[in-house]
Amino acid sequence: MFLRIEKGSAVPISRQIAAQIRALCCAGTLTPGERLPSVRQLARELTVNQNTILRVYERLSAGGLLEMRHGQGTFVAKRPSARGVRDHRKKFMDEWQQLIRQGRMLGLSEDEFRELLEAALSEPMRIGGESE
Amino acid sequence: MTGVALELTDVVKRFGDKLVLNAISLEVKRGQTVAFLGRNGAGKTTTMRLLIGLLKADGGSISVLGNDPLRDALAIRRRTGYLAEDQSMFGWMTVDEILSFTAPFYPTWDHALAVRYAKLFELPAKTKIKRLSKGQTVRLGLLLALAHRPELVLLDDPVSGLDPVMRKEFNRDLITHLQHEGQTIFYSSHLLYEVEPIADQIAILHHGGIVRYEAADTLRQDVKRVIAPKDRIATLMQHPQLLDVDYRGHETAVIVASAQKVIAELQALGCEFRVQDLSLDEIFEAYVIGRKEESGSPPAEPLSQSV
Repeated sequence: MFLRIEKGSAVPISRQIAAQIRALCCAGTLTPGERLPSVRQLARELTVNQNTILRVYERLSAGGLLEMRHGQGTFVAKRPSARGVRDHRKKFMDEWQQLIRQGRMLGLSEDEFRELLEAALSEPMRIGGESE
Repeated sequence: MTGVALELTDVVKRFGDKLVLNAISLEVKRGQTVAFLGRNGAGKTTTMRLLIGLLKADGGSISVLGNDPLRDALAIRRRTGYLAEDQSMFGWMTVDEILSFTAPFYPTWDHALAVRYAKLFELPAKTKIKRLSKGQTVRLGLLLALAHRPELVLLDDPVSGLDPVMRKEFNRDLITHLQHEGQTIFYSSHLLYEVEPIADQIAILHHGGIVRYEAADTLRQDVKRVIAPKDRIATLMQHPQLLDVDYRGHETAVIVASAQKVIAELQALGCEFRVQDLSLDEIFEAYVIGRKEESGSPPAEPLSQSV
């Protein structure tokens, strides 16, 4: 798992780490059931306070994306819980709204929006990158 | 380990008629890493010296690992590692010699660790201290502060003499050797982006007192920049937690603490606004040099009209 922290960023470090783990899970780079580095390991690797890493793992576990098994470590959840999916959906909707706003600013008409959506929907779905 | 490592209660310190610390209070729990931030001359070094018993407070009380720094200075020194801002050491000794000289003062001295640090910090064993570079001297001071595995580490601007690679190594050592073993770290620095990833808590010292003491994440969530049209900003100007105001054309930007409350108020007013996240540098700046003009007399008024 490769993560990168931007120091001095306006985005808090815990949020940077959480967002990257979430993205790796969504992209299929981290697969369900896969074990994440221990809190101590990741803290050392990223030179970040251990409590920060612990909080990120806890938050992502509460959201259903990860699963902390006592004495065994932290894993990507086998099946994302309903709440995890809900959080993802909310985030997706926010990004969607933002995209629409940007399109409006660029002067896209409603018809053009529809065309773009049709074109995107008719593309075959790809999961996990290049395969197939 | 639970409990309190450091406790300052209403501590006052004067130099002549200059009031440096004006009833400062701060509590650091054991096992916590606290970044102690303030501008030059804010009193960070004075606070460190009070904690280690090198200075006497003019009022209030101080407790370090349960001891009074003036009465039990020796007990505190044994269990504490202190890196002073200005290292003064015996220049005629070699690096090796000062290690052997310092070791007997500490029952818990770990010579293997001292040797490891000497290697990591690239300190030449046979070189006299007066011949070391500035960076090497700082690193030697750091080694001497850490080699007895102290329960509490007071670091007065430790990374200023280190290059970026050594800074990262040093931070990694703090995390793996000190934080993991539950040691308490009280750390002052000007490189805010360097301390932030390591700190549990951030304390901001300004005008002789602690203006904010908060978990780094909480501070980031709490302090935001809100930008709104100038005519709607009157509400924000009344906000008790206003830290900074800035005018640009028809917009006004304010930096506020308790940002969620402000956002809720603006939403209730149905007003268009943007919220920006801030870096620790920007938050620090807002606390120590933020401008808070009265709503009636914005100085940027003529400027914004001429645009």
